[in-house]
Amino acid sequence: MTKPILHIIDASIAYGKTTLFTNLNIELHPSNMYCIVGESGQGKTSLLKSILGFIPLKEGSIHILGVELSKSNIHKTRRYSSWIPQELYLPEEWVKDMIAVPFKLQENKHIHFSEDRLKAYLTALGLDHNILMRRVTEISGGQRQRLMIAITAMLDKPLMIIDEPTSALDPHAISLVIHFLKELNKQGVAILAVSHDRIFAANCDKRIYL
Amino acid sequence: MGTIDISYLSLGVGLLLSAIPLYYLWKYKTRLVKATAIAIFRMIVQLLLVGVYMKYLFAWDNPWINALWVIIMVLVASHTAVTRTNLKANLLFIPISIGFLFGAISIGFFFLQLVLRIDNVFQAQYFIPILGTLMGNMLSSNVIALNTYYQGLFREQQLYYYLLGNGASFSEARAPFISQALVKAFSPLIANMAVMGLVALPGTMIGQILGGSSPNVAIKYQMMIIIINFAASMLSLIITIKLSSKHTFDDFGVLKPVFKN
Repeated sequence: MTKPILHIIDASIAYGKTTLFTNLNIELHPSNMYCIVGESGQGKTSLLKSILGFIPLKEGSIHILGVELSKSNIHKTRRYSSWIPQELYLPEEWVKDMIAVPFKLQENKHIHFSEDRLKAYLTALGLDHNILMRRVTEISGGQRQRLMIAITAMLDKPLMIIDEPTSALDPHAISLVIHFLKELNKQGVAILAVSHDRIFAANCDKRIYL
Repeated sequence: MGTIDISYLSLGVGLLLSAIPLYYLWKYKTRLVKATAIAIFRMIVQLLLVGVYMKYLFAWDNPWINALWVIIMVLVASHTAVTRTNLKANLLFIPISIGFLFGAISIGFFFLQLVLRIDNVFQAQYFIPILGTLMGNMLSSNVIALNTYYQGLFREQQLYYYLLGNGASFSEARAPFISQALVKAFSPLIANMAVMGLVALPGTMIGQILGGSSPNVAIKYQMMIIIINFAASMLSLIITIKLSSKHTFDDFGVLKPVFKN
């Protein structure tokens, strides 16, 4: 058995006296795509933020590629993951500048940015290549969502964390996103998503109910 | 060529002009009339007091008293900055104070020692007004920049966490917000510099010319005053932001509640 990319052990999250969930255990291996499902306010997004170190666990631990998430290891664990928050708005005016944002970070500077690869990803996600020449304000929420998935996939991180990847998409675009993420899975990327979308959740390897 | 003194009667006549802004603030129901009246009153009292104690500071010309005076200015300016930004004093007061003190001392001494080349940098006639002008400018730019920085981090948390979540170091994730703060704080100064002498004649220069200096001396002082204010404001701001980050973010880079209430 390979080492899990993400291993959550007996985790619980609480805000003050309100406990969102307890004793959560997840083992996410390469090529796994899991979906966190549940009612609003159950702690789905909070769980994703905990994995990134933005919200502390009340109990339990999180390990990414065997490294326990802690204040001394936080830069190391974040190095292994990529993150797409829900409805992200970056301040850049042009799409091509928006794409460049994560690639300018020191941690990602070694990643070779291939425009051909980006265009192939855009095609796979049903986006016209002309989108690269447009202003961010000229593209729709659904286009921006797929664009962020394409950019994040290019970061080549072993773990991709996505909050509501299909919330702004029509059924055809949803199927393209599912197919795209499955292809990433085949290349060994582990994906953990939060989704209210039943079609998306049904296509994941496992659904984790909170 | 000496300066024409203004008698207290004439000063009173001149102050009557404040009735014009007060009238329009009242007419358009801005609710600023009381605040403006208090501000004008405070300005008059404070400046009268400054006139009195500066007379003594200059007469004593004691380095220890002058240094103590600067420390008092730093503490008052830091308190004012914390109050105006609505940031929590326990997180920001010390970083702001250190930023102000370091900015004023380093740039002030550079100017007094290396540019003016005076023998005693603590000489009250130069030390007090130079460090005073630096303090005033640092205060204004720090208030704008700190407000923009922390409001930006609070309002655009998604961008900050997106950067952290995709491999940014703490300083990389904060960089766009520092950039916004610098733009907001220094754009007016940069714009002013670009038109200085064309659109407006600046205060230092006017003061020196009215005080009897030649225009040639006045412009040199004006250039230096602008540059030392620019440098000290920038330096103090960067020091404040760097030092305050240790108190305003946790070990995971998450922004703590920094605003009062």
